[in-house]
Amino acid sequence: MTKLKGNDFIEKVRTEIDQRLPLDMLNLGDLMAHKEVPKHRMSWAYYLGGFTLFFFIVQVVTGLMLLFYYKPTVSEAHASVEYITHQVSAGALVRNMHTWASSLMILSILIHLITTFAMKAFEKPRELTWVTGVALLLITFTFGFTGYLLPWNQIAVNATKIGLQTIEQVGHYLPGDLATWPRHLREIIQGEASVGQSTLSRFYAIHVVVLPFLIFGLLGVHLLVVQLHGMSKGVDEPAKGQEKFFPFFILKDFSAWGIAFLALFLFALCLPFESFFPYPLFEPYDALGSTPEGIKPEWYFFFMYYPLELLPFWLVMLGVNGAMVVLLFAPWIFKGSSRKTLRFLAVLAALYLFVMTVFGDKIYHLVKGVGG
Amino acid sequence: MKTNTFSPPRHQVRQEFLTKKLFYLRDLKKRTYGFLLFFVPLVSWWFMVSPVLAYPDFQAFIKKNSGRSVDCAFCHANSNGPEGNGPGQIGSLTPEEFDRLNFARGAFDPGRNVNSPILNAFGNRVIRELGKKKFIEIKNHPADLAKALDPKVDLDGDGIPDVQEFLDGTHPLKNTDGDPGRLFLANFLKNHTQILLLLFATLFTLYGLNNLLRGFARFFEAEDGEGGR
Amino acid sequence: MLEAFLFVGLPYAAVIICVAGSIYRFKTQPYSYSALSSQFLEGKKLMWGSVPWHLGITVVFLGHLAAFLAPDTWRLFLSSTHVLYTMEAIGLAAAILCALGLLVLILRRLTTANLQPVTTLMDLVVLFLLLIQVILGIMTAMSVRWGSLWSTETTTPYLWSLLTFRPDASFIAGMPLLVKAHLTGAWILLLSIPFSRLVHMFSLPLEYLFRPPQKVVWNAHPHHGSLKAAEDKEVTRRLFLKGAFGLTAGGVLLGVGVLDELYRFFRGPRLTQAEEADLLDVTQKRLKKNAEEKALELERLRDESIFVAKLSDLSPTKGKYFIDYQMRPALAFLGADGLPQLLSAKCTHLGCTVGSEVNAQGRLLCPCHVSFFDVTNGVPDAGSPAKDPLPKLGWVLVNEKGEIVLSRGPKGEVEGTLLGHEKETLSVHIAKRYVEALT
Repeated sequence: MTKLKGNDFIEKVRTEIDQRLPLDMLNLGDLMAHKEVPKHRMSWAYYLGGFTLFFFIVQVVTGLMLLFYYKPTVSEAHASVEYITHQVSAGALVRNMHTWASSLMILSILIHLITTFAMKAFEKPRELTWVTGVALLLITFTFGFTGYLLPWNQIAVNATKIGLQTIEQVGHYLPGDLATWPRHLREIIQGEASVGQSTLSRFYAIHVVVLPFLIFGLLGVHLLVVQLHGMSKGVDEPAKGQEKFFPFFILKDFSAWGIAFLALFLFALCLPFESFFPYPLFEPYDALGSTPEGIKPEWYFFFMYYPLELLPFWLVMLGVNGAMVVLLFAPWIFKGSSRKTLRFLAVLAALYLFVMTVFGDKIYHLVKGVGG
Repeated sequence: MKTNTFSPPRHQVRQEFLTKKLFYLRDLKKRTYGFLLFFVPLVSWWFMVSPVLAYPDFQAFIKKNSGRSVDCAFCHANSNGPEGNGPGQIGSLTPEEFDRLNFARGAFDPGRNVNSPILNAFGNRVIRELGKKKFIEIKNHPADLAKALDPKVDLDGDGIPDVQEFLDGTHPLKNTDGDPGRLFLANFLKNHTQILLLLFATLFTLYGLNNLLRGFARFFEAEDGEGGR
Repeated sequence: MLEAFLFVGLPYAAVIICVAGSIYRFKTQPYSYSALSSQFLEGKKLMWGSVPWHLGITVVFLGHLAAFLAPDTWRLFLSSTHVLYTMEAIGLAAAILCALGLLVLILRRLTTANLQPVTTLMDLVVLFLLLIQVILGIMTAMSVRWGSLWSTETTTPYLWSLLTFRPDASFIAGMPLLVKAHLTGAWILLLSIPFSRLVHMFSLPLEYLFRPPQKVVWNAHPHHGSLKAAEDKEVTRRLFLKGAFGLTAGGVLLGVGVLDELYRFFRGPRLTQAEEADLLDVTQKRLKKNAEEKALELERLRDESIFVAKLSDLSPTKGKYFIDYQMRPALAFLGADGLPQLLSAKCTHLGCTVGSEVNAQGRLLCPCHVSFFDVTNGVPDAGSPAKDPLPKLGWVLVNEKGEIVLSRGPKGEVEGTLLGHEKETLSVHIAKRYVEALT
């Protein structure tokens, strides 16, 4: 009797997994023939994942090219970046493309995330797609954070210092011996008492080896599940029609990539990313000099950077970690929510991100009452 | 036991500077060209023993005018200004560099071939074009520097003239630094062939993809039609 | 004499015969005004031969035409090396496409059994002539490079001299034999037009690009059932052809631009000696700076005390920066008691360097997140982001002989006595023995 129950349990687990990861459908011919994309008013959102993938490919290619010239040492990192920018033919273009594409990749991920949420695309059986997606977002943020340090200029090192210091601040809220743990964690990450050569070596290793391994693995799973399950319905009303992914949607995807590449090329060729910041921030890092004004993280961290500046630390940490948990478990938390509710939440989140990213600086100065 | 080589943030030199400036102007009045031969060595000596300071008036003006913060490296060789022992600062000069420095300090008239080791190419250009005398006059109303310099010269070749870069608070010697709008326009015009090339490539590709798409549509339609029959 | 015949006589003869012959043929045999289609006899190879050939020759022809019609604009257009390389590469690629297509077509004519009855001698002659002409063109492009530029100074004026009836072969007199052969070949081909299938080029000059080889409806196909189905198939085929053309052209353009850049990127820069020297100079300065930092670190590991400033140089309102034992910035002031006051300058909030100027309220400002600290004890103001006070540093006062006269630890414990008259000669040091106490 009990044996039968055990078998039932195994059978149940098997069906659950099978529903999420229907590997028996893994047949190239079937996939190509059957995957379809619904047509409706939110159809444009189906392009966003593709855009992200495109920018990721650009990142891999340009990153490899930069790797040929970059030197990860404190005394030579900045000089080698300058060498790439000023001496190597097309080096400025490649480097600028890497910078622009990183920002565009994160932008498209964020929009991808918000629209996917609004369309309730995480519904059963697509939980795995969603969770790997959130993990990919975190990896991409880590890519951004580690890559920011590599040029070893003033803004890079000082922003990294501030970023890592926030980890240590958590210690203030922990009791007893636990209070020292965040500091140890920070020192493990940066490899020495303050940001220096060890930090650079570690960030370099993370940026060019560890994270690429992780992202390739997770991206593989993410794309595989998307292929297995096909596109989600996305809207409540019945779709106007279906379109075969292969060859129709993929050709449209390629067209979109073509336009994206043209835009990226135009930006990378004509608008150095540095031109938005005062130049002293891009001088080589000077450990003994004073900190120049205007140290900021990359724009995609503004959503937590400005609140950190304005609100109590514990509140922001609680908010960010809470949001992370909610995001990760969204398929289960919002299981019963209607698309209307989700759309409302998504608009709210988008609004918050937009306001903090674009007007964060103004809000900061308004609240702090300092000019600028 | 050694001294600490630590340079203070540049805004702090300002107060000291204001008192020193008076001395300097008083000295200037005394000088006449006839005495120049006699004075140059003397003046050089005076400069060698007295601290030399950046001109924070310009720095303050740029920041106020453009909203961008700049450092001494706008005109000087070192971002912490001329004083100190770092590279491009007075403390680290060789005798030959001192000669050049002193020559630059004595260049009161425009047109002298100044190549001061504590200045960068832009700083040297300013002294060469204006002469030290005019430069010190302008110091009290820094906006006039933009009018006094040749409006066409563009040392870094980024397509934005130095004068404009001075007003924008962007570095006249860094071609990746410039007002984003102006830089975009200049680079766009400079690289128009590449852009045109890629534009055509993209248009052709889009044209091709679009036709493939239509071809497939008809192809599948025909197949469906056949199947239905 | 031969030259005069080849480059003046032959051209006029060719043009006259071409025009007259074509008109005559159109009048007498209008239905022969086409390339007699052989598609239904053999379709696959035709596709792989005819399409590349027509694509290629169109591009090549347009290039020749541009140099002929607007030499000045063309030259201006090619003045950028980027454009020149691109155009030459496109031309060469198109010519190779032509040659490959022709080869397929020739092989097809020679080997396909179905085609033997409909293949005339003239078909073969024309195909071979075209192949020779294309190969001559490719050889010209390879051996006498940048033909797109030099042709505007040589062949273009020559052709214009023919067109304006002031023939002047001297423009091309000095040209290599290859070029002359290519020109002669052109006149012979022109001559052969009315006698061969080439005449079809006058029928549909533009639409020909994407026109299906020929709409031949043998008879109503039993499966497709109707004329419309066959037509549909042709339309689809045409769309695919346009697609392939677009992708090829886009790919070639992109490839030309990217490959050139890639090559130069990986080859690395070739610097002049002056540039190399500048670069080394910068690197050396950075290394020197690095070495200085290391020297400071070493000094802090070894020495028991380190000089900060002379006591007489300290000011109550403006701090003097120095580096403490942990390689962090610190500030030295003169306290109200006439003794030094040493504070860490590393902001306790997020580690920026605190400013050194004391404001009217006796506060120091950290510029990063606007924290104010009391200069007398390092305690931050209530509203500041920083919560912890700036740590105080211990110091020792050393006289000229190097003896320690007075010392004060970070907690304020004082040792020794100070004689008033010594003050001028004393210097302030930080001492290693206070370091443990600080952390």
